Amino acid sequence: MTTTTTTTRALTGTVVVVGPDERLKPAAEALSKVGESIGLRSILISPGDQTAPPAKVDGNTTHIAGLSTRFLNNVVAAQRLSSLPALVWWRGGSTESLVDLADLADRLVLDVEAPDEVWKHAETLFERTALTDIRWTRLTRWRSALAHIFDLPQVSEAAGEFQKLTIEAADLDAGRLFAGWLRSRLRWKPSVSIAIGRASGNSGPSPLSKMTLEGPNVWIAIDARPETRCLAARVDGVDGSARIVPLSDGSLATLIAEELGVRTRDWAFEEALVAGREVNR
Amino acid sequence: MPNPASGGTNPLLDGLRIEPTPEPTALVIFGASGDLTRRKLLPALYQLSRGQRLPARFSVVGVARSPMSDEAFRQQFHDSLKEFAGLAQPDEISSALAQEMRYVQGEMDDPALYQKLGSVLKEAGSPEGVLFYLAIPPSVYGPVAEHLGKAGLVSEDHGWRRIIVEKPFGTDLASARALNHLLHKHLNESQIFRIDHYLGKETVQNLLVFRFANGMFEPVWNRRYIDHVQITAAETVGVERRASYYEGAGALRDMVQNHLMQVLALVAMEPPIAFSAENVRDRKLDALMSIQPVVGPDAQNGTANVVRAQYAAGWVNGEEVPGYRHEEGVNPESATETFVALRMFLDSWRWAGVPFYVRTGKRLPKRTTEIAIQFRRPPLHIFKKISPTAVASNLLIVNVQPDEGISLRFEAKLPGSRMQLAPVMMNFRYGSAFGRAVPEAYETLLLDAMLGDATLFARHDFVEASWALITPIHEAWAAAGGKDVASYEAGEWGPEQADAMLAADGRRWRTL
Repeated sequence: MTTTTTTTRALTGTVVVVGPDERLKPAAEALSKVGESIGLRSILISPGDQTAPPAKVDGNTTHIAGLSTRFLNNVVAAQRLSSLPALVWWRGGSTESLVDLADLADRLVLDVEAPDEVWKHAETLFERTALTDIRWTRLTRWRSALAHIFDLPQVSEAAGEFQKLTIEAADLDAGRLFAGWLRSRLRWKPSVSIAIGRASGNSGPSPLSKMTLEGPNVWIAIDARPETRCLAARVDGVDGSARIVPLSDGSLATLIAEELGVRTRDWAFEEALVAGREVNR
Repeated sequence: MPNPASGGTNPLLDGLRIEPTPEPTALVIFGASGDLTRRKLLPALYQLSRGQRLPARFSVVGVARSPMSDEAFRQQFHDSLKEFAGLAQPDEISSALAQEMRYVQGEMDDPALYQKLGSVLKEAGSPEGVLFYLAIPPSVYGPVAEHLGKAGLVSEDHGWRRIIVEKPFGTDLASARALNHLLHKHLNESQIFRIDHYLGKETVQNLLVFRFANGMFEPVWNRRYIDHVQITAAETVGVERRASYYEGAGALRDMVQNHLMQVLALVAMEPPIAFSAENVRDRKLDALMSIQPVVGPDAQNGTANVVRAQYAAGWVNGEEVPGYRHEEGVNPESATETFVALRMFLDSWRWAGVPFYVRTGKRLPKRTTEIAIQFRRPPLHIFKKISPTAVASNLLIVNVQPDEGISLRFEAKLPGSRMQLAPVMMNFRYGSAFGRAVPEAYETLLLDAMLGDATLFARHDFVEASWALITPIHEAWAAAGGKDVASYEAGEWGPEQADAMLAADGRRWRTL
């Protein structure tokens, strides 16, 4: 005999998505999927010029189309769940309203195609909320694969000697962020050469397809293997250094679910962003 | 931040979204061809590897009596993932992990086995840490510990060496003490990790967070507000293929001495001054030591604090099942209990006069484990003249399995012009609130042992204190010669004597 029980779900927070209509739809689908396993209230807002556009409410999701950016703060303040964390997922809009909105967010996730405009305001945003960029989340597995390699004594001993970083990236801005991370964590001087080029092959959902890090005594390579959804990391000439790391499916649902699991200010990201802004594509 | 060129702390680990990983480790599994290894340990290693929780240099050495090549051991790993982790085909992660697996065959009491093991660990690059997992019968713990010690394999001159010991840890107080004594001859207590998989469960760990990170519950967590506590661990299965073990163990040894005593201690303990292994374990020990004797001249209510019973034939989950004494491998005149219910009192300011009722059994109607904290009723029932319904007590339920979570029952007014009360339940479920897969207990515990965090492992004094409480019950039962073994029909919630025990206190078991 099988019995099923229905229970009221505990809500754990609010996700506010702001962006143009065409970018809200995939976000709504992702949140719907995430909502199957996480208790969330979702508020989807596309900017426009209306002062009081009608809100469409469907279960725990509220959709507001064409809201004047002037009133964005009021709406978010009224709609978010009180006393629970609010995550703002920024998929585009006026940067001015983004800075104001940051005050209402416990966490702000940037997710725009050309990030330089919002990255310029990073220091202001850092002071207002816990900031991140969805590219950073896409890089989680790449960063941890490389970090594991740095546990090897041969690599950690040579950590101060790297001379050249080469990245092939499907997303050049993700490549800059990755390079910024290494530059800030390893305290690189400008003499360390960084080359970021567009990936020629298919890297699947991964933002990077290949990375090599070279020094006089150590050569590290990490390749994306989209066919098996893994990363392969190795250190030349070091036995037992090969590591296989699973990649996530890279879907928006997976990425935002990961973001929802992070609750604190991310200092490593902040330093990486500041350093990565200076890296040329 | 340390200078990266210095070769100190890994600068890239800062801010990573992965949890801490152990230092390079070799895991040596004694009993590598056994059921526990296949069902739990190997799948847990795969999941840890997927989650990047294993160190950069990690290897597994399987040790068992059965002849097997390295390749066959690797195949056993893939087979176990297919059967118990749902991985139909090896993937890159499992294949990479399998490459780091070796197998050593030998008799556990043969010194040559340990020489061979030492050589294999050297071949694996002499990792900083070696974790020995004893997934073997308890009768072999002693010889294995002895040989590991004599072969110098647990000496910490070149990195940490730890040992995980599975339950049962002894069969009574004397044997537990003897085993602790033997382990302590070769290992420090800090090297010994006595595993209790209940402590790896998320909800059990959450008890500490619930009690000590929420200011609103701790002030009412005492005799002034709590009427009683019920802890239930119910199984629908019978003895299955474990009759030979179970006949010598019974429900009291199998469930209460370890799992349920740990749970009770977490409910009853005082707040530790910090969340560290020693602080938490000290306070748990205090709670256990404060439990009054359950039987004997010093016990309140004499022997009426314990009920033991066996299941008779009946129906469970729509299937007709035989009685315990008719199960394969069970003595037809067996007095082994498949159900036990206990009433315990703690001699402490916090809990004086509050009974803790504990029950566990096989062939019960439902598989569930929960802790129910029943609060006292309001001192005055002001609605009694106008509401036809009685006020139910507030109830806090911690579900340990299968649906891990916490529920709170309170009274509400039924909508309408009439003042009528009804209980409602607020539910929090791990599975639907945070959306993250709850890790298997063995994943958590293996990782903690590699990281050297003993918080969720039993310390020697806790084990002995628990046996000190349980052993007199076994002695009283032995003296009674099986005359007091009650019976319950399979598919029912235990014998009527268990109901009577609570009824005598004006209470009853929760309906689950």
